[in-house]
Amino acid sequence: MHNIVLILKQLLPFIEVLFLWRLSVYFWNPAGILALIPIFYYTFVRPIHGFAFVGLIFCLLIDYRCNLPLLWTTLFCLFYAIDGFQNYIDVQHTDNNALYIFMMFIGIGILLMIFSGLTWKNFINNVWLFVWMCILYTPITAIDTLFYQKGLK
Amino acid sequence: MNLKFFVYKVSIMIKDKSSYKLARIIKSALAAAAIPVILIYIMVAKPDYTVTNTLAHIFLPIAYGIGSVVTWPVRAVGQSAHWVREMSNLRNENKQLRVKLDEALAYKNDCDIALAENKKLEKEIDVKKASPFKTVIADIQFDDSVFHHNTFLINRGKKDGLTKGMVVVSFDNRLVGTVLDCGSVFCRVRALTDSTTKIAVRITGSDISGFLQGNGKSGASVGFFNDTQFIGRAGLKVITSNISGILPSGIYVGEMTDEKNIDVIKPYNLSRVMVLQFDDQGSYK
Repeated sequence: MHNIVLILKQLLPFIEVLFLWRLSVYFWNPAGILALIPIFYYTFVRPIHGFAFVGLIFCLLIDYRCNLPLLWTTLFCLFYAIDGFQNYIDVQHTDNNALYIFMMFIGIGILLMIFSGLTWKNFINNVWLFVWMCILYTPITAIDTLFYQKGLK
Repeated sequence: MNLKFFVYKVSIMIKDKSSYKLARIIKSALAAAAIPVILIYIMVAKPDYTVTNTLAHIFLPIAYGIGSVVTWPVRAVGQSAHWVREMSNLRNENKQLRVKLDEALAYKNDCDIALAENKKLEKEIDVKKASPFKTVIADIQFDDSVFHHNTFLINRGKKDGLTKGMVVVSFDNRLVGTVLDCGSVFCRVRALTDSTTKIAVRITGSDISGFLQGNGKSGASVGFFNDTQFIGRAGLKVITSNISGILPSGIYVGEMTDEKNIDVIKPYNLSRVMVLQFDDQGSYK
């Protein structure tokens, strides 16, 4: 029984991504874009072995569903490369689970989306999405502290 | 003995911090190398993106299947809440529908006469109007309305005979969109409200043609009329025109709400659609 619980806790990051991606709802989670939160968190802040590949696949799927030409996939690769090469910022030990770096990650993507369709409606939608994702980042990543990390110790 | 020593050495290397750093740099280098490849691919593959679409066709059904299992309890609760809400609205809707039905029955007689007259005239001037003989009914899996793009996925694909470019209509025969990309068990449909939608339309009862363009989320607008003096107004009905050769003519698109905007079907109001097959001549197969 203990082993099953342990396995489930280890699978939690993957389940989180699937959960948020699959439960896409217009306005609140368009095209499952909220899945970018656990993708970012478990790739850069609390890296899990093999998760980067899953993150890449889901970035591709988000791009496909958003009808975007590999925007999030490119950004993910870019951040992954920068994170690996630099040692100036220790993302894993940054305050607030690296919320500000996440804001940068999301912000760049959303900014590009704003420029790709310059209308007021698109601008407001994108700003809303940025704010909503930043608000949800802390509670979603708190799941990791509550269940995942405690369970493995 | 040697093998044991080798395994021991490797395990030490894995635990070693410098090896970890090296592995990290290699992974980062791979990610960095992927960026120019992706950017070149975007430039070269535009607008088909065959490779990425193929990859999505492989991974999407897998992720969808596993995701459906994982999220089943949440979706079941959501569906139940939806049904409860639907039930509460049903009585009012029933009353409204009865009134509409009475009006429609009264109107039907006039329509029957007009249809019969129309058929007679068509025969006289030898107009061949095709009607669909093959339709595929599909459920909407995802509404992917995001940013200024508005696409959705349906649960029918190449296996059901669907291909890119097919017409998607609602059950009341209103145009919903066109098939953008086809996987084996699903298709991605571009809705009329998508900002990249551009289709030729005609004002019913006239020869005035124009182009419909989606405006992102809320609706679509009509412009570029062949009659420059023409000014649209609320209440005008718009149908497809096959002047661009992409869509067959005569499919109802929507009603104009003012001189420019048109009320079209939004995918988030639908749960099921029909896909029509048509040939290159613009008539249905």
